[in-house]
Amino acid sequence: MMKLWCRQIVSVVRLEMKKTFFCKRGLWVYLLAFAPVVLYMVNSVHITRQRRHLAQIGAEHPVSQAAFNNIKTGLSRENVVAKLGEPYWQRTRYHHGSDGRKRSFVLYKYTDGKNDFMYHFEDDKLTWINRRDPEKLAESQLIFATSFQFYFLRLAVFFGCVGIFVNLFRGEMLDKSLHFYMLTPMRREVLLAGKYFAGLLATVVIFTSSTALQWWAMLWQFERPVIVEFLAGPGPTQFAAYLGVTALACVGYGSIFLAVGLIFRNPVIPAAVVLLWESANPFLPPLLKKTSMIYYLQSLCPVTAAPDKNMPPLINLLISPTEPAATLAAVTCIVLLTLLVLVLASRVARKLEINYGTD
Amino acid sequence: MRDDLITLDNVSRFYGEVLGVNRVTLSIPPGITSLVGPNGAGKTTLMNLMTGLIRPTRGRIRVLGLSPAQPHRLFGLVGYATQFDAFPRGLSGFQFIYSFLRLFGYSKAECKRLANRVIDQVGLSDAAGRKVAGYSKGMRQRIRLAQALAHDPRVLILDEPLNGLDPLVRAETINLFRRYATEGRHVLVSSHVLHEVDMISDQVVLMSGGYVVAEGQIQSVRSEIQEQPVKILVHCRQPGMLASKAFEQDHVVEAQLLTEGSGVLITTRDADRFYRLLNHLALNGIDIEGVTPADDNVNSVYDYLIGGEERVSP
Repeated sequence: MMKLWCRQIVSVVRLEMKKTFFCKRGLWVYLLAFAPVVLYMVNSVHITRQRRHLAQIGAEHPVSQAAFNNIKTGLSRENVVAKLGEPYWQRTRYHHGSDGRKRSFVLYKYTDGKNDFMYHFEDDKLTWINRRDPEKLAESQLIFATSFQFYFLRLAVFFGCVGIFVNLFRGEMLDKSLHFYMLTPMRREVLLAGKYFAGLLATVVIFTSSTALQWWAMLWQFERPVIVEFLAGPGPTQFAAYLGVTALACVGYGSIFLAVGLIFRNPVIPAAVVLLWESANPFLPPLLKKTSMIYYLQSLCPVTAAPDKNMPPLINLLISPTEPAATLAAVTCIVLLTLLVLVLASRVARKLEINYGTD
Repeated sequence: MRDDLITLDNVSRFYGEVLGVNRVTLSIPPGITSLVGPNGAGKTTLMNLMTGLIRPTRGRIRVLGLSPAQPHRLFGLVGYATQFDAFPRGLSGFQFIYSFLRLFGYSKAECKRLANRVIDQVGLSDAAGRKVAGYSKGMRQRIRLAQALAHDPRVLILDEPLNGLDPLVRAETINLFRRYATEGRHVLVSSHVLHEVDMISDQVVLMSGGYVVAEGQIQSVRSEIQEQPVKILVHCRQPGMLASKAFEQDHVVEAQLLTEGSGVLITTRDADRFYRLLNHLALNGIDIEGVTPADDNVNSVYDYLIGGEERVSP
């Protein structure tokens, strides 16, 4: 019997493949999944070009590090030029003050070949210095963790699962083609499992590919020795963790939206409710936090996301800090929640009727 | 309970407050059974109930002893060609049948063999490689028939299977039904035109408004219908005279004067003869203002089904 069920599940997955992977209606899922890859890539290309540009200028106008260290605020423009030479970039502006006096504002840019130094003069006096270091790997990891947890998991994977899993049943109801499955000697539970695996295959392939490409695009800007060192250290574990979290997000959200597509005629409202619940997670008391998928997914992320510095203090007060769940507990809870939802969905599937007229 | 019957015991199905079928009790033996009724009579609902696509609000259904609530058992024995004219996207005729058979758990080779056989059987071999989306209405009808026949079922349930078929294919399809019936299988066919199926049917189930109004062999259904009295409301200025003239006729069972004196309610066993009488009376000076069938009766359904024999109106 098990062999028959497996055969039937594989047949359902094959039939669903075209719909889940190549459906025109699902193009936006790819856009959602791969938009961050494009952004990371653009950022990496920009930073690499900028680095090359600075190195070239540094080679053409060499300035020693000691000379940069000697520049302090209060120096005159002539003094700075005397110590560092002519800047590689400058801009001058004039403003009339309230007293009618004409004032000059000058910005000079120098480089040591790696870092960018900006000197700001007001009436030829150096008023402030800004040193822009190239992006560090630790910074990039933090940016990746933040965008992964706040954009990728909460929006891209979430809505991607809505788009793919909801359509597995609801889409066929609208196309009036669901009955073909119902005319075969296949248990409804087996049909549900087949459709779930079809959706899972599509979402896991799309979103883990995106995670891997984002990771690659993020690292691309760094020089080879930095990458080699990172990959010899925590890199592979972090990479595997991100892929695992992405796959688990598809497992969990997939089951929820499969059930939503099966139960609700209009899945938009329940999807919005789930989104609201997941978004409200930081403000929920610790016990309720543990009833949302995002809590466990975030617990499994290898780097903690950066806190929002611009958050109003009042909202900051409402955030309830909770210890992340242990890895094993988080995985177990996601799997158990998924199984529970699938069992409930299969009970609904058993009573499913073909009633296209009213759908 | 016999395991070679399709039985429906006091089956009702409501869609909210809308009636699908009501209190249907049937026992269908092997052979060709036609389910006949006008659109909205409940034929498709009844077929969907038999195949478990919908569930009865009340009552019990058994198909060869199996409950439609167990599709994994039922569809080994049952093939159902629905009226839904939609197919999984992007599949050719062959792929459609092949994929459908794969869901039964057959091996690839077996699916290929069965798909080729049934496609040949319905005369679609030349179009098997083309996408179903590009098929004509008749071809889509045939591929649906092929899907129902593909696993060689003991019970064939076909919703309006002759719709859209050209005469040659129609004759071939009817021959196919006959062949299945002579092999002792059930072939349940729905139609809204009795003429279309009465020549091939071993039994007929006549439906109207969600009710089974007559059932049995075609001859007994005809006589059952003809024996049913029918009520006709006639509005006229001389209801008393009309009632007395009508009552002289042997087919008129009852003539009831309306209390407000504006007409008469006639109950007759032969509506056609009564309408001819009305024509005659109108020509002889009785001022008839209107004639309305007073009940949704078997006869009117039958008239509709056999192609709407024209009534003689005054």
